[in-house]
Amino acid sequence: MKYFRSRREFLFEAGGGLSGLALAQLLAQDGLLAAEGACAANPTGPTPFTPKAPHFPARAKAVISLFMSGGVSHVDTFDPKPALHKYAGQPLTGKGEIIVRQGNPGPLMPSPFTFQRHGENGIEVSEIFPHLAGKVDELAILRSVYGKSNDHVQAHYELATGVIRMGYPSVGSWVTYGLGSENQNLPAFVVIYDAHGGPFGGPANWSAGFMPAAYQGTVFRASDVPIVDLKPPASVTPAEQRARLDLLNKLNEMDARKYPGNSELAARISSYELAYRMQGCAPEAVDVNRESAATRKLYGLDSPITEPFGRQCLMARRLVERGVRFVQLYHGGLGDQNTDTWDAHTNVKENHSRHAAESDKPIAALLTDLKARGLLDTTLVVWQGEFGRMPISQRGVGRDHNPGAMSIWMAGARIQGGQVIGASDEFGYKAEQQPISIHDLHATILHLLGMDHTRLTYFFQGRQMRLTDVYGELIPQITNA
Amino acid sequence: MLLRTLWAAWLLAACAAQAADSRVSFSQDIAPIFQSSCWKCHGGAAQLSHLDLRSRETALKGGERGPALVPGNADQSRMYRLVSGREKPSMPLDGKLTPEQVQRIKTWIDEGAPWENVAPAGATGNALAASEDVPLPPGARQYWAFRLPVRPAVPNNGARNPIDAFLLEAMRAKGLKPGPPADPQTLLRRAYLDLTGLPPTPAEARQFLEDRSPDAWDKLIERLLASPHYGERWGRHWLDVARYADSNGFEHDFDRPNAWRYRDYVIRSYNQDKPYDVFLREQIAGDEIDRVTTDSLIATGFLRCYAKVGFREKDNPQYRYEYLDDMIATIGRGVLGLTIQCARCHNHKFDPISQKDYYSLQASLFGYVEVDEPLVPADEAAAYQKQMTEIEGRIRPLKQRIREIEEPYRQALLPAKYKKFPANVQEALATPEDKRTPGQVLLANQIIRTVSVSPAEIEAVMQPADRAEKKQLEEQIRGLERQRPKPIPMAMAVTDGDYRFAPDGPGDEPAPGKGVKHEAIQGSFLWHGPGRYQAPPSYFLYRGDPESRGSLMQPGFVKVITYGDPPTAIPPADGHTSGRRRALAEWLTSSENPLTARVEVNRIWYHHFGRGLVATLDNFGKMGDRPSHPELLDWLALEFMKRGWSIKEMQRLIMTSDAYRRSSQFADAEDAAKDPEDVYLWRFRIQRLDAETARDNILFVSGGLNQEMYGPPVFPPLQPEILASMNKGIWLREPDGPAVWRRSVYVYRKRGLPFPFFEVFDLPDQNLTCSRRNVSTVPTQALTLLNDDFVLQQAKLFADRLAEAAPGDPNKQVDLAYELALNRRPAEAERRAAASFLADHPLEGLTHVLLNLNEFLYMR
Repeated sequence: MKYFRSRREFLFEAGGGLSGLALAQLLAQDGLLAAEGACAANPTGPTPFTPKAPHFPARAKAVISLFMSGGVSHVDTFDPKPALHKYAGQPLTGKGEIIVRQGNPGPLMPSPFTFQRHGENGIEVSEIFPHLAGKVDELAILRSVYGKSNDHVQAHYELATGVIRMGYPSVGSWVTYGLGSENQNLPAFVVIYDAHGGPFGGPANWSAGFMPAAYQGTVFRASDVPIVDLKPPASVTPAEQRARLDLLNKLNEMDARKYPGNSELAARISSYELAYRMQGCAPEAVDVNRESAATRKLYGLDSPITEPFGRQCLMARRLVERGVRFVQLYHGGLGDQNTDTWDAHTNVKENHSRHAAESDKPIAALLTDLKARGLLDTTLVVWQGEFGRMPISQRGVGRDHNPGAMSIWMAGARIQGGQVIGASDEFGYKAEQQPISIHDLHATILHLLGMDHTRLTYFFQGRQMRLTDVYGELIPQITNA
Repeated sequence: MLLRTLWAAWLLAACAAQAADSRVSFSQDIAPIFQSSCWKCHGGAAQLSHLDLRSRETALKGGERGPALVPGNADQSRMYRLVSGREKPSMPLDGKLTPEQVQRIKTWIDEGAPWENVAPAGATGNALAASEDVPLPPGARQYWAFRLPVRPAVPNNGARNPIDAFLLEAMRAKGLKPGPPADPQTLLRRAYLDLTGLPPTPAEARQFLEDRSPDAWDKLIERLLASPHYGERWGRHWLDVARYADSNGFEHDFDRPNAWRYRDYVIRSYNQDKPYDVFLREQIAGDEIDRVTTDSLIATGFLRCYAKVGFREKDNPQYRYEYLDDMIATIGRGVLGLTIQCARCHNHKFDPISQKDYYSLQASLFGYVEVDEPLVPADEAAAYQKQMTEIEGRIRPLKQRIREIEEPYRQALLPAKYKKFPANVQEALATPEDKRTPGQVLLANQIIRTVSVSPAEIEAVMQPADRAEKKQLEEQIRGLERQRPKPIPMAMAVTDGDYRFAPDGPGDEPAPGKGVKHEAIQGSFLWHGPGRYQAPPSYFLYRGDPESRGSLMQPGFVKVITYGDPPTAIPPADGHTSGRRRALAEWLTSSENPLTARVEVNRIWYHHFGRGLVATLDNFGKMGDRPSHPELLDWLALEFMKRGWSIKEMQRLIMTSDAYRRSSQFADAEDAAKDPEDVYLWRFRIQRLDAETARDNILFVSGGLNQEMYGPPVFPPLQPEILASMNKGIWLREPDGPAVWRRSVYVYRKRGLPFPFFEVFDLPDQNLTCSRRNVSTVPTQALTLLNDDFVLQQAKLFADRLAEAAPGDPNKQVDLAYELALNRRPAEAERRAAASFLADHPLEGLTHVLLNLNEFLYMR
């Protein structure tokens, strides 16, 4: 209960009745709170996000997860398949029954896009990613990832939690549970979804499942009030709110004297202080107007096509810079499933051209910017969709879902860039060399953050639950850097 | 023939040269590997995944996952890919081959997988089936939770209430002193929040505080137990156990329009003090018990509370296994305090629960099918059905006529639609059917089967006469639609049937990539006689894999807690169900079941004291906590059964104890050091209000609470951004106001979008059974209470209420505010602080602060 005593001392004795809250308010009046220094200062005392030591030295402190919702076609982006040209128009045979989500499998279809070699190792990247192609030396491309479900929602959940059902903690929850956060004035696990709407499967993608709700993701939106209920409505002025908080604090402190040593009541008092700080710090953290014109341009904020996701990426960098542990971005949201996500049943050329144009420049900018600021070495960037797409066509122009093979890339965290890991078969139908499961991917992500996926456990339903269940093997080319 | 001779010659030569060039011999190198690692599951007794590795022919034919071998190409052979870990699940499942063995298999396949007739050695064939049965480990029943409770002697230490006698004994043994009693005001508020989830009104407070009779407390408890709000509070606890929700979850998150009737059943049952054994029997076998009632049919909705994928289960049996698993987990954890679901793929790792126990329980439940049971007399239901059929019969030809009118237009429009597709598609369509290449067949079929013309597109090009006729037909259809009878109330229930003949429900769609599958079996969805109903067969599933069937299972229970020889089926006289669930319910509620009563009294105890006698409410197994007061737990369990499984009786007993009436404030440094967690209840534990109670209290204090009970759920407004995060299923737009200011138990439970106010205050995941909620303290809770429109609006209502009651008298307003929110008068210092605040801030500022106080948010 040492923490409680020191807090009480602070609240009652610092400045003779001038509470910590009031002090913060004075700072805010002077515009000091919004300055980085104040928002970086952490309160004393335990919270669910008090930083915890990793199991072993970490390569990354933070994660930015870029989720391309709807399912990116690997054979049209990072996994070129010349065989699709050679056998174009022929059925895919010798693979057993071909299961496609919407029925009626079509013949093999070559990519409508051309591929060019890039970077020191001449890795092929689709023409729809001109900016990312220039970053290929930063990327470790996994071409042999496979999932369990060809259903959007189940596949989202598998990527998010390792399980195709609802009710399990997301990767961001596990990471913040395991490591806490370096900045108590901001949520530890932030989710920013597409301007068109949430991803398939909705909030269960960032749920804490069976863990305490504190570990669920907090949704940020791209506005000056980034969190729902962050600010009071206009009818309550800042001065009015301040007065209410002062009174609340005073009454709560009087009450707390009846319960000496009760850390829960103390934590609740403290949580108001944190909430108040968050009101100042969260808008600042995502205020992209504080960035230079050059930076804004780098992320494509000057173009209506790249602006929405560019803003998300720039927000992510600012959040990571301020110590947020896990940032989950979604590109593609519901909306109209056919056009607003990567779900290219109708026309892969139209769909992927559009979504690539929206996301390519911002993502490349994120990598450039993180590197320029010295953050890339300590930040893991993961790019993924929920599954790949079929090498066979839908009606000559579209592609159906394919969990058998997908391409995912990882960058930052001192991962060896410019490498391709694993391979799918000659058509891209199934992962063939070094198949990588989602558990393997998750184990690897935890490892880069300094955590052993077999030791990061939460007791539930009578056993020590893991993100990776009883599976998961590290991807050696990633972890042995 | 020539080929075969050459092959044999080559093989002979190969064998001769084996030492030199590492050629592999089937009999010497491969068969031993098969013998030790493969034939157990893919041999004589079992062919898991339908794969039989006893001959080259059957290996080539393969199993569920396709051929096992591609002779000459190990890389493409599933056998090699699985044993080398290239594909999951890696084989063999119970271990790993050595790298040398893997290499031998690779070489063997690359060399063409030559096969000699080597028979699997006899015994291995049956080893798998034999492995299903595991005897109970010796002494398994000696574990405290598996022994039948024994009535202990109540310690004779002067305590009036037996509970106190047991607690006092334990405290003395630990050198702890019971704290002083709480003051009447605190007790009053504690009892109200605990039993009804609402605070007392000032008048109710006076009624108790001014009652000087010795039984004032007993009378208070009686009043509260009789309050209709009691069921809303205590029923909610059970709804957590039942993982109740109003929507399906998963991709579509379909609405469950009748789910709320089960919720109402739970509330009603608590208010009636339905004996817990009856309560359980109705929920598990309400369609099979002796006296089937409307309520007992609704009760079976308990089994249907699982999250559900929208695909038809008849061609997706794997989902059905998930639902069954969820039922077993819910009954296991919620009723028995056992993690039985851990034994789905293997015997339980910690507790003596075998995989066979799991599949016996599964067999007990396996006959279940989902039915919507009409809640009106049979003749009324029949009349309704008749009317519906008749109207549909009249609509059908009208729709048919519309299709006929549209058809020529559709045919005329289709070619233009086809034209939008690329050249290869055009070519495929232009090629005569018999001349199409295999690829063109696929392409053409895709187009023909999936391109459609919409009615709107047709309407745009219709001749006036046709359009007029169609309009007139549609008008007739609308007229008939209006004649449809008002829907009759339905219960979301289960009964026995055969899921393989389940009709498609609303929203059911074919399995991914599959069309309708007709099984080559005879039967019907529900039993219509003659004879007796037979449950569809269910099997022991190796590793929980539906494709790896073992023995046919008979219904049964968890062996280690089964005393005597209870029946595993109690079929009803008319034979319409198997009676297996009835037998399961009887076993659960038998006085010979060592766990059901213990688990329930422990849950009751937990909700009163904030900590169970067994802290892990849903795990009494080895990985759970040991009881802090084992004798008291047994005494309570036996008392519970003796008193007819009456929950209210147990609450009377608990709440009249000194332990319940102890102060939470007392802090004896010495006791705190000895027992910081207050395991021994030397003081009362303060408890934060749960999410629903917090919202209900805000509404109650503001005067806004609409106390109407029961009925369809309500939809308090959500911010547009939050709605945008989940656009599947429903969230009706209802204006904020008294219609939605109902108690939180009536707020729509949407699996895909937990109500944000609840979520921020630790709503448990709505997909899994939950006995104990987490309590977290995070800034987002503060942000919600500070800034959310709902809270601010209620603060305003609260202020208006004060201003109206004591116009122009700020002192009186403050007094009343404290009485309403905290059931006490403000202390002098509080009064001063309020007065100084009100000097230049509005009253709604003060009421807002009160709704944020720790004292307001805690039961203490």
